[in-house]
Amino acid sequence: MILMTVDDLPEAEGRLRELARAVEALVFAADEPVEARQIASVVSEVSQEDPPTEEAIQEAVDVLNATCEQQGRSLRIRRWGGGFRMTTTEDVAAYLKVYFRNDRRQKLTRSLMETLAIVCYKQPATKPEIDYIRGVDSDYALRRLLDIGLIAVLERSDAVGRPLLYGTTSRFLEEFGLSGLDQLPNLREIEELLENTSFSQARASLLMMQGIQQQEPPESRDSQEGD
Amino acid sequence: MYHIQLRDFEGPLDLLLFFIQRDEIDIFDIPIAEITDEYLTYVRLMDEVDLDGVADFIYMAALLIHVKARMLLPNPEVNEEGDIIDPRRDLVERLLAYMRYKEAAEDLDVLHKKRGSLFTRGKASAPEIEQQVVDILVNTTVFQLASALGRVLAEVSGMPTITVEEVEYKLVDQRAFVVEALGRKEKVVFGELVRDAPKRFVITTFLAVLEMAQQGLVWLMLTPEADDFYVRRLSDPPQIGDLRLN
Repeated sequence: MILMTVDDLPEAEGRLRELARAVEALVFAADEPVEARQIASVVSEVSQEDPPTEEAIQEAVDVLNATCEQQGRSLRIRRWGGGFRMTTTEDVAAYLKVYFRNDRRQKLTRSLMETLAIVCYKQPATKPEIDYIRGVDSDYALRRLLDIGLIAVLERSDAVGRPLLYGTTSRFLEEFGLSGLDQLPNLREIEELLENTSFSQARASLLMMQGIQQQEPPESRDSQEGD
Repeated sequence: MYHIQLRDFEGPLDLLLFFIQRDEIDIFDIPIAEITDEYLTYVRLMDEVDLDGVADFIYMAALLIHVKARMLLPNPEVNEEGDIIDPRRDLVERLLAYMRYKEAAEDLDVLHKKRGSLFTRGKASAPEIEQQVVDILVNTTVFQLASALGRVLAEVSGMPTITVEEVEYKLVDQRAFVVEALGRKEKVVFGELVRDAPKRFVITTFLAVLEMAQQGLVWLMLTPEADDFYVRRLSDPPQIGDLRLN
């Protein structure tokens, strides 16, 4: 497939070309992820025209990335947690790892990763739910994840005791290189929901597996399942 | 009282999964009686050492005993349809649910590593996830270590002892003792290190060694027979990730 680059854009595509230049400059200069609506409002303010649509911005980013790819450059614009960022490519990671060796990116410990996994797949999740799944008190892990900013308290549940509901933050998406929660790998499906309650001998063990989907800690059962 | 905080070690469900994997048990047909006995042996050992979070283990032990008791009842419980409810069902469901999230945690770890090889500009590019604990430099699970300790202790208690007065052993002294031993030899077998020593000496030394592993000063490796473990000196702080040998 022939990739369209900035130079290939015909004159009629001048608007897209200009948008691509603006996006490149903004994403390059910003220290943090730039959201599509921020780009749109900046461009609109300068051009005194209607703000570009999100699709147009995404198209401009695609064109920029295609240009970089064709020219063999080591930069790409990626969309993580709703914001655009300019990043290096994976194949030059070795150089950067040497250069940045002193501010080493830390690995999350096992218990933090486990707690984070439960929060991100079950969100909104309560502490009793997390404790129940892990079989241990997750107080410390939750506090650490809150400190780091990977999770946040969303609200209080209506369940007994009004437990806090935890969810992941856009920082989480950024840290894990995801544009949205829908990009998370699927939890391994054990079986379909246990809709059918008949429990025949032959299917007993299979249904045992299916039952897993419905099982929750009794005290914090919410009326609906988050997906 | 010996107390150590090991927040990152495995929990009670990991211990059950450890038995199940080790003995290649069919998760849908867990021999509850055997597992419960084995589990309790560990919990007693852990209680003696007072590992952080032992209460969670005791709670799980109570659950296991409850399941075991229900299995012994002559009249099996039935649901509304009159089908027999396997008393192990809740437990199996919990184990499976836990396994799913354990797997998910591994998936997240892969994503995190991949993301780590992409660099961005600005301050946000160095993710400020500071971490106080170094990875524990143990090539095995804490359960294997604990059972190795159990065997070393079993040998100790077989010896006649006369207690004249209570001798307090301190972690800091035992650390010095380990450091000194490792000064003579790069690698020592734990059992030889504490040979003929009283039980409290052994336990305090064990905790000292764990603490040193946590700080990245020593490296622990199970012996081939898995009844003891090596303690090896590490002069340079290791790179995170290098020493996960399993």
